Amino acid sequence: MWAVGGGKGGTGKSFVAASLGLHLASLDRDVVLVDADLGAPNLHTLLGIKASHPDLGDFLTNAVPALEEAVVETPYRGLRIIKGSENILFIANLNHYRKLRLLRQLRQLQTQNVILDLGTGSSFNTLDFFLSANPGIVVATPEPTAIENTYLFLKSCIMRVLKLYMDHYKIRDLHQKMLDQIERNSQSLYGFFKSLMESDRAYGTMLYRALRGFRPCLIMNKTRDERDVLLGRSVADVARKYLLIDMKYLGAVPYDEGVRASLRGLKPFYLEHKDSAAARAIRQLSEELAYSIEFTLRTPPEIRLPDA
Amino acid sequence: MLKRIEDWNYYELLSVERTASQDEIWEAYQAALATYRDGSLALYGLVTEAERGLVLERVQEAFQTLRDPDKRKEYDLALLRHSPYVPPKAPFRKSVGKLEIEDAPAKGTRWARLKRLFVKNP
Repeated sequence: MWAVGGGKGGTGKSFVAASLGLHLASLDRDVVLVDADLGAPNLHTLLGIKASHPDLGDFLTNAVPALEEAVVETPYRGLRIIKGSENILFIANLNHYRKLRLLRQLRQLQTQNVILDLGTGSSFNTLDFFLSANPGIVVATPEPTAIENTYLFLKSCIMRVLKLYMDHYKIRDLHQKMLDQIERNSQSLYGFFKSLMESDRAYGTMLYRALRGFRPCLIMNKTRDERDVLLGRSVADVARKYLLIDMKYLGAVPYDEGVRASLRGLKPFYLEHKDSAAARAIRQLSEELAYSIEFTLRTPPEIRLPDA
Repeated sequence: MLKRIEDWNYYELLSVERTASQDEIWEAYQAALATYRDGSLALYGLVTEAERGLVLERVQEAFQTLRDPDKRKEYDLALLRHSPYVPPKAPFRKSVGKLEIEDAPAKGTRWARLKRLFVKNP
C-alpha cells in the first residue's frame, strides 16, 4: 500500500497518485486508488469520473458492509477507485474505531496495489494513514511555503510515531517532555534523544529505533530547472541530518501546463500526454518506488494491524 | 548513530562513504554547497541563518581536507582511532530472497542515474 501525502495543498498529491495508478494499471497490474482526502476529495475528477455512490463514506457509515463493495470500476483497464465521500463533515472527523476498521479493510482489499491519496495537513487520521503505508510518499514543490510545510508534516509524523510507541509501552510521561522539547529549534530532536538516552537508555534506544523505522520518500513536483530538481536531494539530506530520519528522494516531476488543460477537459493528464517529460518522470518514479519498497516504514504499534 | 550535526565527521557531513573517490567528494561538495548556500530553500523553516553559516564553514573545511590526499590520509588515521570503519551492510530483501546489493546499481551511481533521468542537460 502506497500513500501520497504532504503538508501543503496544491503540490500535486492527487495528480501524482492518479498518474502512478494509471501507470501501474497500464503495466497490467490490478490497482485500487483510494481517495482518502477526508476533507476535500477530488481524485475522481482528475480521472474524469463524476462523484457517485458507493463511496468511502458509504463504507464508513455502514451503508455497505465491506470496503471491497465501495470499490468501483473506472474507464481505464486494471484501475479501480474508492471515491471520496461527499458527506465531508462526518467523514473528516473519523473516530479511532472507524479509522482502524478502514485501515484493516484497506489491507484486505483483493488487489495488487493500493494507492492512498491523502489530504493536506497533519491531522491524526492523515498521519496514521501515511504511517501505515509502505512507503509514504511526500509530494513537495520548490517553493518556500511548500518546503516549510513539508518539514512541519515530517515533524508531525515523527511526533506521531514516537507517541504511538510511548502509548504502546505506557511511557506517557515522556510525551509532554517531547512536546516541550521538540518544538524549540532545528536540533531539538537530537536534544530530546540525547537527554532521554542519558536518563533512560533503554527507552531512548527503543524510541530512536522506532524513529529510524520511519522512512518516507520524497517527490519534488512542478520543477522548472535543475536547481529545483537538486532541491529535493537537499531537502532529503537536511531531513536526514536535522530530523534524524532516513528520507529517500525519488526524483522530480517537471512542471507542465498540460496538467491544467487536462484537468479542465476532465481527462487524465498521464494518458493524454504519455510522451511528455512529466509522464516519463512518473514512469521513472514508479520504478524507483518499486525498488525502494523493501526498506521503508516499520509500522508503529496501534496502527500496526494483525494482518500487517 | 545519534549525533549532533557538529559531531558528524567530514564523510557524514558530505554524505559520502569513507572510500569515496575524488569525483564523488567533488559532487557531494557541490550538493552540500547548494544545500547550505545563503538563501537556500532547503533550509527554509527549519534551520536558522547562524546554524547554516556554521555548517557551511564545516563543509568547506571538510572539502579542503578530503581533496588533499595527504590531509585526507592524516584525517582518516585520526578518525579510525575514534571510530573504526565498518562498511554498510546490504539489507536483505524478503520478497526476492536476495541481498539488496545483488539487484542494486553499481555503487555511487544512484545520484548519477537520478540526474540522468530528471535533469535535462546533466
